[in-house]
Amino acid sequence: MRVRFLMIGLLSLGGAGLFGNGVYIYAKARLAQFLLQRAWTKTLRGEKDVKPWKWADTWPVAKIEFPEQHQRFIVLSGASGRTMAFGPGHVDGTADPDETGNCVISAHRDTQFAVLQQVQLGDEIVMQTRHGKTIHYRVRAMRVVRSRDVSILANSNGRRLTLITCYPFDAIRPGGDLRYAVMAAPAPIRPDLRSQVSDLSHTLSHQAGLGGG
Amino acid sequence: MKRRFLVLAAILLFPIAAAAQVVEQPQVVTLDQVTSGMMLLKTNVPGVFVPAPAVATDVKIQVRGLILRGEVTQRFRNPQATCAEAVYAFPLPEDAAVDRLRMTIGQRVIEGEIQERKQAEQTYEQAKSEGKKASLLSQERPNLFTVSIANIGSGEEVVVSIDYQQNIDYRDSVFRLRFPMTIGPRYIPGVEKPVVPVGVGWSVDTDQVPDASRVTPPVNRPGSGRENQLRLTVDLDAGFSLKRVDSTYHKVDTTIVSGSHYRVALHGGDIPADRDFELVWQPDLGNEPKSALFTESIPSAKSGPGESYALVMLMPPAVKTGVRLPKESIFIVDTSGSMMGTSINEAKAALQLALDRLSPQDRFNVIEFNSVTNVLFNQARPASADNVAAAKKWVSALQATGGTEMMGALQAGLVNQAASEDLVRQVIFMTDGQVGNENELFAFIRSNLKTSRLFTVGIGAAPNSNFLRNAARFGRGTFTYIGDVNEVQAKMTTLFEKLESPVLTNVELRFDDPTAEVWPQRLPDLYGGEPVIVAARLTKPNGRIILSGAVGKEEWHDVHTMSADSALHGEGSGIGRLWARRKIEALNDSVEATAENSDVKQKIIALALEHHLVTPFTSLVAVDVTPSGVPLEKCETRAVPVNLPAGWGGFEGSLPKTATPAPLLLLCGGLLIGLAAMLAIRS
Repeated sequence: MRVRFLMIGLLSLGGAGLFGNGVYIYAKARLAQFLLQRAWTKTLRGEKDVKPWKWADTWPVAKIEFPEQHQRFIVLSGASGRTMAFGPGHVDGTADPDETGNCVISAHRDTQFAVLQQVQLGDEIVMQTRHGKTIHYRVRAMRVVRSRDVSILANSNGRRLTLITCYPFDAIRPGGDLRYAVMAAPAPIRPDLRSQVSDLSHTLSHQAGLGGG
Repeated sequence: MKRRFLVLAAILLFPIAAAAQVVEQPQVVTLDQVTSGMMLLKTNVPGVFVPAPAVATDVKIQVRGLILRGEVTQRFRNPQATCAEAVYAFPLPEDAAVDRLRMTIGQRVIEGEIQERKQAEQTYEQAKSEGKKASLLSQERPNLFTVSIANIGSGEEVVVSIDYQQNIDYRDSVFRLRFPMTIGPRYIPGVEKPVVPVGVGWSVDTDQVPDASRVTPPVNRPGSGRENQLRLTVDLDAGFSLKRVDSTYHKVDTTIVSGSHYRVALHGGDIPADRDFELVWQPDLGNEPKSALFTESIPSAKSGPGESYALVMLMPPAVKTGVRLPKESIFIVDTSGSMMGTSINEAKAALQLALDRLSPQDRFNVIEFNSVTNVLFNQARPASADNVAAAKKWVSALQATGGTEMMGALQAGLVNQAASEDLVRQVIFMTDGQVGNENELFAFIRSNLKTSRLFTVGIGAAPNSNFLRNAARFGRGTFTYIGDVNEVQAKMTTLFEKLESPVLTNVELRFDDPTAEVWPQRLPDLYGGEPVIVAARLTKPNGRIILSGAVGKEEWHDVHTMSADSALHGEGSGIGRLWARRKIEALNDSVEATAENSDVKQKIIALALEHHLVTPFTSLVAVDVTPSGVPLEKCETRAVPVNLPAGWGGFEGSLPKTATPAPLLLLCGGLLIGLAAMLAIRS
């Protein structure tokens, strides 16, 4: 009888520990975005490399918005595991969100970039750079690639946005070999989305104190 | 159906997707899947193989004194089931005079012919459409060539040999031979041109680099099992007894044939071609040659006096080091994405060393650039302890990322900063030079140099030596290579000694012979340990040479007799080609060379045709007379990938890991709690 109680106790303790850890990962990803918002506002005011908290080794570099999916995230510098625990990371060595070239951003499939699952061809992605500039992208292609296929990181001459996350989206185990890539290029605003986008740029320019696109 | 078509169209039209198609996936096969003869390489997975690399290179270099002759043999094999046209971009030394192309098919050897570039292209296209095997060798940059081979049938092999001539670099009592092995991906600035690309590289053509698609070959990813292999041997007869013969970056096997005659081979035969090869040799102490003379006599076709060519090396006497002059040092460091990996660490180490070496009466500034240019101070500041400490801190935080917009940095280094009067102004530029718009940058340096001097420091395993050498030439400074972190200390110290030693200016070299035509005509300033090397066309190959110059306000001259008094001398062939190569380089420097049908261009073409040289305007083309029996279906054009330089961070490794263990944790946690609950209910 006693053994049984002990087992129940140990199992529920262990279970709660693991479950709690899982919940913590999601909570961290959610909460961090609130803290990042403050650092982002400061960045838009012109401060350089604002660390969102004292011990952070990363800083906001852009904000991306998925108008159709009603999601927005602050993008951090670097795409290490440590950075991506808090938000999407800009992959080092690819074009800066501000510059012409292929800008690559990656995030976890089960936190921020779960949204990529719903992103459709032709969808709008709006990026705000740290200088307050707003760029409208349109999704031009989606592909599943192997993790060794770094060719999608290659630079381009025109402005490109490449978003990467793990694939498949509903896999239980981490560390798979497949990645899902969403590729976008600048595009004129779709008439049926214009109202939403102008709302957004209004909000953004309001935050930034700058004229948005 | 319509939607699927749209998706397909989007993928095809999307340049990134297009680039990804050029960078081939390593096709893996098992032995069961092999249907035709195919050379296979083992992979990490037992029983799984990849088709053999498309090109294997064999380099044979012969050195006699100061003269180098190289033969590069490339073996193209088509492992595909259909006929293929291979397009391979490869590097050669930036001052190489490329004069011979041979194509070997089975037992037959076809000698290449020199033709004007446009005409050579037509000859090649004509042969291609007739189903004949043909090869075309064109110069894209002084150090970057492309070879195209048409109609390689399935499973067939075509061997292409390319010969070149060069003179050995001699500085600081060390003879140095460099052979580049691969082409680092270059940054292509500018706006996309709305035309069909002229080449098959990963970049589109832009307004600033109109031939970008020809100079950006796809890359083999390290570990893909498809790296291009290279073997290299050097037959070295230095002409005097040597203290040492060393390969700087590769393991080699060295055997002494006799006296000063050595044979050097890369250890282990074939190696991945992913970093420059460098061989250095040093004469016994006190035995350093002060002069060298190599001549070639070409008897005239019409029983006239004939022509003589001479390659002359003269070492000016060492000038005593006087008072150390205060100077203004501007350090420019490349922090672009191509520097990611080991290169940025080399650059930072070199920069820290440079900052340590400043003395308080000097002034200095540091500039970093990638897509944007950042300066440490608005104006150069005195090298006080505080300023140097601030600079060192700034430098240690530098990171490599983004593009290589070099123009902004040169502007900041050469133009935007007011030079302080009466200071020697030296700009030290640390970069891998991986840009496609070299000519634009050279023109800028030439017209904005004024009193500054530009010194380039080449960083990394396979830097763009065409940029480094010529930027220093137009900048009237010197260039240094650092290929390894361990070299930083020694190489930077040598550079600083040069920067601190008095400079020999207004250097002039005159021959007794009034008909002598000497190239280069304007000699560079000489820094400690550097000789004058010129090539001349003469009517009498003996007589006197007068070398003169000035150190500060002191004038100085030296008289040499051609022939006997040179420690290093000899008759050689190909001196005339070296002379022509130098003349072409000088002609090419003049601005008008790029203009269509300009006078200069015609001169270059005439010279190149006479001396059988590949230039921007002339190409070598070899055409097989017999059609290869390949059916005239449209041949697939394949760009042969090059290796990524060793130590590159930018393209290496894999995509970020983008899954959290959260779902797994939740599942396991949930299961355990469920189990606990079940136990609790049953009790």
